[in-house]
Amino acid sequence: MGRAYSTIAFDPAKCDGCGDCMTACAQAKTGTDDIARSRIQIYGRDGAADKTFELALCRQCADPKCVTVCPAGALDKDGTSGVIGWDASKCVDCLLCTVGCAYAGIALDEGTGHVAKCDTCDGNPACVPACPKGALKHITTANIYNEVGDWEDLFAPGLAGCQGCNTELLMRHTLRRVGPDTVLATPPGCVPGMGSVGFNGTTGTKVPVFHPLLTNTAAMLAGIKRQYKRVGRDVQALAIAGDGGASDVGFQSLSGAAERGEQMLFMVVDNEGYMNTGMQRSSCTPYGAWTSTTPVGEATRGKTQDAKNLPLIMVNHRCAYVATASTAYMEDLYDKLDKAIAASKTGFAYLHVYSPCTTGWRFPSNLNMEVARKAVETNFVMLWEYTPQAGLHFTKPVDDPLPVTDYLKAMGRFRHLSPEQVEHIQKKVVENQKFVERMTEHAHVG
Amino acid sequence: MTTATLEKAAAAEAQRKQKVILAEGNEAAALGVALARPDMVSVYPITPQSSLVEHLAKLIADGRMDADIVDAEGEHSVLSVLQGGALAGARTYTATCGPGLAFMFEPYFRTPGMRLPIVLTIVTRDGITPQSVWGGHQDAMTVREAGWIQVYCESVQEVLDTTVMAFKIAEHHDVMLPVNVCLDGNYLSYGASRVEMPDQADVDEFMGEKDVNWHVALDPLRPMAVDPLTGGTTGKGPQTFVRYRKGQCAGMQNALRVIEEVHADWAKRIGRSFAPLVEEYRLDDAEFAIMTLGSMSGAAKDAVDEARDAGRKVGLIKIKTFSPFPVEALMKALGKVKALGVIDRSVGFRWNCGPMYQETLGVLYRLGRFIPSMSFIGGLAGADITIPHVHRVIAETEALLNGTAAPTEPVWLNEKD
Repeated sequence: MGRAYSTIAFDPAKCDGCGDCMTACAQAKTGTDDIARSRIQIYGRDGAADKTFELALCRQCADPKCVTVCPAGALDKDGTSGVIGWDASKCVDCLLCTVGCAYAGIALDEGTGHVAKCDTCDGNPACVPACPKGALKHITTANIYNEVGDWEDLFAPGLAGCQGCNTELLMRHTLRRVGPDTVLATPPGCVPGMGSVGFNGTTGTKVPVFHPLLTNTAAMLAGIKRQYKRVGRDVQALAIAGDGGASDVGFQSLSGAAERGEQMLFMVVDNEGYMNTGMQRSSCTPYGAWTSTTPVGEATRGKTQDAKNLPLIMVNHRCAYVATASTAYMEDLYDKLDKAIAASKTGFAYLHVYSPCTTGWRFPSNLNMEVARKAVETNFVMLWEYTPQAGLHFTKPVDDPLPVTDYLKAMGRFRHLSPEQVEHIQKKVVENQKFVERMTEHAHVG
Repeated sequence: MTTATLEKAAAAEAQRKQKVILAEGNEAAALGVALARPDMVSVYPITPQSSLVEHLAKLIADGRMDADIVDAEGEHSVLSVLQGGALAGARTYTATCGPGLAFMFEPYFRTPGMRLPIVLTIVTRDGITPQSVWGGHQDAMTVREAGWIQVYCESVQEVLDTTVMAFKIAEHHDVMLPVNVCLDGNYLSYGASRVEMPDQADVDEFMGEKDVNWHVALDPLRPMAVDPLTGGTTGKGPQTFVRYRKGQCAGMQNALRVIEEVHADWAKRIGRSFAPLVEEYRLDDAEFAIMTLGSMSGAAKDAVDEARDAGRKVGLIKIKTFSPFPVEALMKALGKVKALGVIDRSVGFRWNCGPMYQETLGVLYRLGRFIPSMSFIGGLAGADITIPHVHRVIAETEALLNGTAAPTEPVWLNEKD
């Protein structure tokens, strides 16, 4: 497989034009405070009603025009880091590269008389931590691709998920990481619904896989794991279950297995309802959401109760590991997968992944990651992890959350909400955030 | 010496080695389980089964039984844990009854379809409601169409011996079906009796090699998808589903032969015989018969003896194997009599009679000649079926011989107790 590279991402919505990034860059690269010499440039947009900002920075393009137009071979893309490097000994100062680049990513440095461009400070860019608003992010998710991209995808191609299904993305990543010495339980829901267990003699999975009942996933896995332990074989027990089966009818067996410390990794794919059977309400469905059993009518408009917080309930089982995750934060997810796999060797590991459902939540599938990210950025969901030793802490704390409407307006299932309902949801978001924060404060007490 | 003589001598020797103990039915069941050496037992307590799982827990705690014990949070998970264990190759066991069996029903009615040879003792209990914690066959009868093999025991000794045999029957490659050993709540569960304990080495030889998941497994060394969606209207769906269901039915019919073979093998090696399917008691020269199931058969045999002493030509037919229903063996027995009274310890609500009576009607039809018969229901919710109760059954069945029309209503034996 090819390589993927890290990149610096810019969120104009968060940028206030302070210029701290430029100062940091100038200091790092020129030893001066002259922001005109910074490799990163922030420009105010002329004529905008609200002052907005744009970024001029090298994108480290895969097909870099600056490299193509350079007559001297002074620019070259490094195969390992992906950074486009500039070689002073070859440069003829023709400045053709500055014309070739559409992003103003390479420009003349008046201080040296040569062009200058971002080299990502050898993978540790000075501008990113300098930004007080979090408008710059160094995206290193590519490392995951480089590390596991060549590992076998243990699901067959052509699973029959909905177009753009986030759950399919999640399960492929998960099983690839967990590996082939696994017995996989996929209780009724979207995961087997798309054909992972199979249909009339065919299967969509390359590891042993089965349909438990909706109700007994954790119990069946416990029996499997115990027998392999008894005969001295190291077999990973893995469940990829929906939120309905886990939080509603399957909760008893989940709770029982957690209490007994059964050695397994139990992943809940939380798409906030029974999406496979036609988008009915589960106890994980949020307040106000339309589902096919909480329709919008004259008397009621969407679900009238708040969601059950299943991962917090699992914390109260004192599991070996409990975490929440999101596919919009893949590094965080992978880090938690690793920890969960390790914890499942000695106890019950529980991973709760928020997984937007393009079909059931009513949004275009190209917005999957955007919806998933907004859920976190508004604190609608929170990413944290827990171990009995270290307690609970946030892994992606959001101290300055966006208003919850930024999340709600992204999808059709909340379209009908009244101002009062939105207010209720916003109030609950704040309340939930405080609740979990209190748990982090008392992490080492309990 | 002939082979038969040699076998007789071996059986006598096996029996000589057996320690005689005093045990209740629940304890005898636990001891039988220990002799069969399961890998995994999963338990949840319920009256009148509780002392059975307590005995198992103690046997394991004392190191007298090497099995993983899973104290699950309810019967539903109990059986689910065992399904997982069996799919990974474990010999597995549990026990339950009544409401516990009802709660277990979802994995229970899936087990035969997965062809998992799990052994589950039903310490039979009457159904609720009315609220009751006492014996009766209503629980086991309610699930009789779920595809499990069900055998009923008459005595504490038969409980112990049948428990061991149940594993052998379940795991037979021509069967591969789960087995319920039904032992009567209260009467057998708490009834202390003299029991002979088979020698472990003899039982080990009887059991042979364990081979539980050769046909279906969740094992990374033999990767397969277990229980994908099957059926529907397209492709090979319909014929695939039929193939599985027909196979399950064939396994059930094969069980009739295997149950007989296993009982014969047990008799040869351990020295004790039990009628495997249907027991005929003083039937050969009988004009009419009464039919029984489980522990009531003891009192019923005493009553038949007394009636014989009084010159009445009555015999007894006892069913041991209720599922699969032993149609052939029963036809043979019923062919010998001219009237029949069937005693049930449970109710068949749909036909307003006992369930065993209702099943027997089908066999009587196949016999091709009219035999007047009637249904008696007794022993519900722990009530006694005593010798006087059975005398009433004998008298009313005998009356059928004289051409009196058979009643369509059942006789409730404890109606005035």
